[in-house]
Amino acid sequence: MKRTGVFICHCGINIAGTVDVKKVAQELAKHPGVVHAEDYVYMCSDPGQNLIIQAIKEKNLDNVVVACCSPTLHETTFRNTSKAGGLNIFRCEIANIREQCSWVHKDKSSATQKATKITKSAVEKVRRNESLEAISVPVTRRALVVGGGIAGIQAALDLGNSGFEVILVEKNPSIGGHMIQLSETFPTLDCSQCILTPKMVEVSKHPKVKLMTYSEVQDVSGYVGNFKVKILKKPTYVDPDKCNLCDECTKVCPIVVPNEFELGLTGRRAIYIPFPQAIPASYTLDIKACPGLMPIACGKCADVCDVKAIDYDMKPQIIEEEVGAIILATGYDLYDKANMAEYGYGKYADVLDGLQFERLCSASGPTKGQILRPSDHKEPKEVVFIQCSGSRDPENHCAYCSKICCMYTAKHAMLYKHHVHDGQAYIFYIDIRSGGKGYEEFVQRAVEEDGVLYLRGKVSKVFEDKGKLKVWGVDTLTGKHIEITADMVVLAQAMRPAQGAQELAKKLKLAMDKDGFLAEAHPKLRPVESVTSGMFLAGAAQAPKDIPEAVSQASGAAAKAVTILSQERLYHSPTVAKVLSNLCTGCGMCVQVCPYEAIAHKDGKVEVNEVLCEGCGTCSATCLRAAIQVKNLTLHQVHEMINACLGG
Amino acid sequence: MAKIEDLKEEARKLLREGKIKYVIGYAAGTNGWMASPIFIKKPEDVEKLVWDPTCVHNLSRFLVDEKRRKEREKQPDKRPVGIFVKGCDSRAIVVLLQEKFIDRNDVYILGISCEKGGVVDEHKLARKLEGKKPKKIELGDKGQLVVTTANRKAEFPVEELLAERCLECRANFPVISDIMSGEKIKRTVEKPFGSVEKMERMPKEERWRFWKEQLDKCIRCYACRSVCPMCYCDECVVDSINLAVSADTTAEEKADKVKWIQRSAESSENFVYHFVRAIHLAGRCIDCGECERACPLDIPVRFLNKKLEREAKELFGYEVGFDPAQPSLVSSFRDDDPEDFIR
Amino acid sequence: MAEEFEPKIVAFLCKWCSSAGSDLAGVSRMEYPPNVVPIQVMCSGSVSPLYIFSAFNKGADGVLVSGCHPGDCHYIKGNYYARRRIHLVKKLLEFVGLEPERFQMSWVSAAEGTKYTQVIKEFVNELKPLGPQNKLRRNP
Repeated sequence: MKRTGVFICHCGINIAGTVDVKKVAQELAKHPGVVHAEDYVYMCSDPGQNLIIQAIKEKNLDNVVVACCSPTLHETTFRNTSKAGGLNIFRCEIANIREQCSWVHKDKSSATQKATKITKSAVEKVRRNESLEAISVPVTRRALVVGGGIAGIQAALDLGNSGFEVILVEKNPSIGGHMIQLSETFPTLDCSQCILTPKMVEVSKHPKVKLMTYSEVQDVSGYVGNFKVKILKKPTYVDPDKCNLCDECTKVCPIVVPNEFELGLTGRRAIYIPFPQAIPASYTLDIKACPGLMPIACGKCADVCDVKAIDYDMKPQIIEEEVGAIILATGYDLYDKANMAEYGYGKYADVLDGLQFERLCSASGPTKGQILRPSDHKEPKEVVFIQCSGSRDPENHCAYCSKICCMYTAKHAMLYKHHVHDGQAYIFYIDIRSGGKGYEEFVQRAVEEDGVLYLRGKVSKVFEDKGKLKVWGVDTLTGKHIEITADMVVLAQAMRPAQGAQELAKKLKLAMDKDGFLAEAHPKLRPVESVTSGMFLAGAAQAPKDIPEAVSQASGAAAKAVTILSQERLYHSPTVAKVLSNLCTGCGMCVQVCPYEAIAHKDGKVEVNEVLCEGCGTCSATCLRAAIQVKNLTLHQVHEMINACLGG
Repeated sequence: MAKIEDLKEEARKLLREGKIKYVIGYAAGTNGWMASPIFIKKPEDVEKLVWDPTCVHNLSRFLVDEKRRKEREKQPDKRPVGIFVKGCDSRAIVVLLQEKFIDRNDVYILGISCEKGGVVDEHKLARKLEGKKPKKIELGDKGQLVVTTANRKAEFPVEELLAERCLECRANFPVISDIMSGEKIKRTVEKPFGSVEKMERMPKEERWRFWKEQLDKCIRCYACRSVCPMCYCDECVVDSINLAVSADTTAEEKADKVKWIQRSAESSENFVYHFVRAIHLAGRCIDCGECERACPLDIPVRFLNKKLEREAKELFGYEVGFDPAQPSLVSSFRDDDPEDFIR
Repeated sequence: MAEEFEPKIVAFLCKWCSSAGSDLAGVSRMEYPPNVVPIQVMCSGSVSPLYIFSAFNKGADGVLVSGCHPGDCHYIKGNYYARRRIHLVKKLLEFVGLEPERFQMSWVSAAEGTKYTQVIKEFVNELKPLGPQNKLRRNP
């Protein structure tokens, strides 16, 4: 039988004051397999640890049990002690007789009995422990960042500046995300493009960053430190190296489609540059809008291109990359306007969403910074802003708060007043959430300096009447019905995960929350890590957030990725699940329950990816055949521990 | 009552063309009245197949044996096996598919609808006939059971003779099949869990006495396990005889194995055995009733399974054996699973 | 005078929440009855029904399974599987007539030393009037 030594710590009087440690030692000495049992005043002291090392050698111990404080405190200490004595660290177990016994009981006899049982239970466990070594895998020391908005740009820059190669993938023709569409940013009212474009340039010129625009991640396989990524590079049909931005092609292109960058407020040609500062600075031929790539179909753009940048033969490419960490910064889109029938969205030209209003305010926007009604290009004199449009409405729309709308609506109203001095801005709100540095002051400024009228209540209906928009609502503070005849209505639409982000999450097997945002590993303590080891979250992909929050999370995610990339090898606890393949029938229940996608079907059985497994054991409780068990906490071990706990 | 002539014709054709390995079906029983399983390899033997309310067996259990056989053979015949299934049996096949134990291509399913009938309960029949042996039992046109004995022909309402599970059956036609005979008639069942509910209404101590008395009888012959198509594990966890043994496995290590229950058929051990079986069948048992029928001591083991079937439905909205793609009961959850029992 | 009956309870505590919560109770020197012997498991999701049946069979008067609150599981969703599995076990045990008080589940977070103490106190108090659990106990 395996030889076990038991060491009972007095912890001064912390344990010995309530537990008769001598008695525990006597009882344990009688337990089968225990060849040595002693007590000492402070086991964790050097002399205490030496006692253990000495006993291992003299008594030829196979296992060590230390009955002392919680394993969270000294498990590592005593495992290292055992190692110093020549044992594998997993040949040492802790019996927690302080926090879970001596400190919570008064009666000495029953506390002693309980301590004896806890210690016996640890003896039964340790004698069935396997000697294990940490699992280690090499690391591919480069990263992938998905999404080229502010969060993705920041993450890529931080990683690049830390000295790691980064691939930054953006599905649109240019990086910049939604931030590049904004006019000014709260609470400082600095110009969004002015602060973002330098970062865009920096990331595109960064020697460590490989920028892939108009590209999409198609498939990810592998695991932390060792991902294999397939990226689809869509053809732009324009060679960015040759294109000199002369803009002749758009002049001849006969096709006009709604301009996505301007949110449909204007049109663009089938060949286009999304916005003047686009990066890469090049045109893209939108194949869906183009009448055909054959010169016979149209071919006008190629004809006028002096530098022969247009190449109709460009093909989609699949590019394979290997990376060690992935940051998802897939961003957001606004909640679909089609859902807001009550506010007349889509029906009335002068009902806009927040991003459209940003474009109206923007100096580079369709109206060159003049706020004009889309319907008749007249200056609106009364504008109603509706907050929580689609947010905080579990019955009909999204249950959550989109977080940024209170602030940007205040900004919108303020910008409106700065443009139209004699105009009146009304804001319907449920309540104002202005937590953030300088945010509350900003809202106050809107009210006090710019005379924005805040009305607490929800708008029930918006409808057109004689060229104006009637807004019906209730002021819940006075209880009075309100009717405003407005020239324009702006909806602070809820934020949703970006289009395509959920499909991507499914491909990456990333968990999503109930609203479709990417789920963090722990809501408080691991907010930038995804559930999947080696994949991190940044920006609005995880939840609605404003620019500073997105930027901080991106830097956080980059720092987390560096914890992996800075290692030559990754080490992982070896107490992972193990398949007993003679018992496994391949039913796959364990595959379904595994929170880490660490179990996969193979040849009619299952196999565990030890690098992904965290050893939670949910698989082992689910398996009907005991065919998958966690090393060093097997069903058998628990069975014997139960026996010991019940005095058997 | 469904006619199986078209199924027989199909079976004959498949055997003649060599598309299936053999057919598992029912033949007239050797004890005079109850049908027994038959394996038919030759088209000319198809004539032996019968269908009547004595076709009690869940033949899908034989798919487990078939799989084992294939695993043993060096060059297995991989053609599908033809199998006759009732509604409940077909749902067993769905669970076997769900658990990837068999592949859809392994079976050619010949489904029969029980229509308004079902299968008879031996005990009910014996009581009705006062010991006389029936010669023939058929489902009559008016939904009654027609029983012919040596000297008379009697008619009984189905409720008096059918197995309780048939009276509680909510899907009395195959949910999966390659060819099906009979109509997809849904019987109106007022209380699909009536028998379980009745027991739930018993006071706790009375319930305990009932189960104690029942499980005291258990001799742990494991007939319930042997007959169950879901008990296809190579080794039952309660046995734990299997051990990875290598050259340097010591005798002590061999002896040191988990013993969830002792081998003795003692009441408390029997409880553990039946608990383990019930919990392992939760979300998997399709209520074919074979465990109870096979029990030589007439222990109503089916109730334990039925109880959990009911809880799965009521607590988690989980129905067994309809969708091979759905995750298993215990390998899935809903965010709002009830938790009023948790402190 | 006959000694008061002291129930024997086995508690399966998840490492990250409930065991940590019980450690907190210790650090805070909260007193509770010594009837419970804890077994630390990685996650409440790893508690096999076999453990529970076995504990009763080996003479436990009560069994407790305790894990992280929904949404807080260290392993993301282990406690949701536990919730479903344990519920089924509870229904089964009650169906054969075991007293429902004997098998309990609780959510105890790492910060809830007080709650852990409370759960144990109440559990012991509820078990005392029931006397020893002999229904599923193996004959000695």
